[in-house]
Amino acid sequence: MKKIISLTVNGVEHELAVEPRRSLLELLREDLGLTGTHKGCGIGDCGTCTVLVDGVATFSCLTLAIQVEGCSIETVESLAENGRLNELQQAFVDQGAIQCGFCTPGMLMTSTELLRRNPHPQEPEIRRAISGNLCRCTGYQKIVEAIKTVAGENDE
Amino acid sequence: MILPQFDVLVPETVNEACAMLAEHAEHGVRVLAGGTDLLVNLRRPIITQHVPRCDGCRTHPEGAVSSTIDCTMWESEPLMASGGSLRTLLRDQEKTSPEFLVSLHKLKELKNIRRSDDGGLRIGALTTLAEIQRSPEIRQDYTALAEGTDNLGSPLVRNRGTLGGNIVNARPAADAAVPTIGLGAMLTLHGKSGTRSVPAEGFPTAPGKTIIEPDELLTEIVYPLSPTYSGSAYYKLANRKALEISTVGVAVWVILEKPGGPVADVRVALGAVGPTPILAKSVPAVLIGKVPDKAAIAEAAEAAAGDCRPIDDHRGSAWYRVQMVEVLTGRLLKIAVERAGTTT
Repeated sequence: MKKIISLTVNGVEHELAVEPRRSLLELLREDLGLTGTHKGCGIGDCGTCTVLVDGVATFSCLTLAIQVEGCSIETVESLAENGRLNELQQAFVDQGAIQCGFCTPGMLMTSTELLRRNPHPQEPEIRRAISGNLCRCTGYQKIVEAIKTVAGENDE
Repeated sequence: MILPQFDVLVPETVNEACAMLAEHAEHGVRVLAGGTDLLVNLRRPIITQHVPRCDGCRTHPEGAVSSTIDCTMWESEPLMASGGSLRTLLRDQEKTSPEFLVSLHKLKELKNIRRSDDGGLRIGALTTLAEIQRSPEIRQDYTALAEGTDNLGSPLVRNRGTLGGNIVNARPAADAAVPTIGLGAMLTLHGKSGTRSVPAEGFPTAPGKTIIEPDELLTEIVYPLSPTYSGSAYYKLANRKALEISTVGVAVWVILEKPGGPVADVRVALGAVGPTPILAKSVPAVLIGKVPDKAAIAEAAEAAAGDCRPIDDHRGSAWYRVQMVEVLTGRLLKIAVERAGTTT
């Protein structure tokens, strides 16, 4: 039987009827049409489905929609400001940290959480922070460099 | 949709949760905490339907899950060990899939870290592994637990996964459960008929099995006082730094009578070298009362190696694991003794 839940997604409140087994990922992609969040492995290994739940980077594939009742969700769609890529997104583009783009939404959300917690992380901390996000094409180096660019600017 | 059909119950209190568990025990009910293990395990049988079937190996009749994937893996899964046709597998699966999940996400009272009256530490079962990892208090006084969470899963797993979940799942390699045993913690189990407190080392009984009753919930993990001259450490031996299951995990806790002085108490817990995380029971007799010098530590490390019962698997051979228990126990005892001497 479907249950009614309310939650905030990218600042907009929603009230939805969801099946108990519906994942947050399915809710975002299928009910709300927010397809920026990608579905990868579905078992918590790849991290591409990462969104922020009350500010905490979370696998949306391993989170039931029912569990985030009343929570505030941020997806990759929330990053751009006034139709322009934000600093982190632009850094990913400039550094060539996007290739096929499949891991990108997860990488962006995980590094957004990192940079909020610590605006100027050093390289080892950056590498640790994204160690749950798999990238199969850029080889991580460019992603690390993109995050470092923003971390460096935060320093100044 | 890949998850099987189930209904989700959302209790507002611990008592309500226990009542739900008792009421639905016969229909199949599971507790949902962080979901990083449970939701993966619920999906697994469905995914494996697409795995090519075995053409008749040592353990499976023709038509079972393919040996080329990993037959030994399925031996530990009662669901799949039945072998037989896809139809049988599907039927068995329907029987074992829970009808209900009791989701604990509203039980905020189980999400906290606080001092107990005797100066120990009480950690609510729903405290996430990331919260434990970032707690300066835990890193200072219960270092082994903090180090246990450092390389558990990945940052994303630690953001969702809970301490209680890591313990109740009762995997032999559980990186937070091993230091919990090493640090001598007691587990508070809350059931319909009351609350009981059990030592962490007596909790798991087999891979995935514990002494918890169907109506019980693990609510709190209580660590004893960390005395002045005490120190602890954990090491996870694994092939990767993230998203990896330990080949061997060792946690040690040493209490000295004075810095550099004789050992007042010691505990060594071992992961991935037995069907459950285990306490190395022969270590205290070897080390207590002695000055923890090189020879005494070597003897204790040898005793720990004698206590473990590893198996051969793709992560390492039994022989290798025994060697590593000895090496790591020795190294960690040295580190813990140093930490014990500098603790203020």
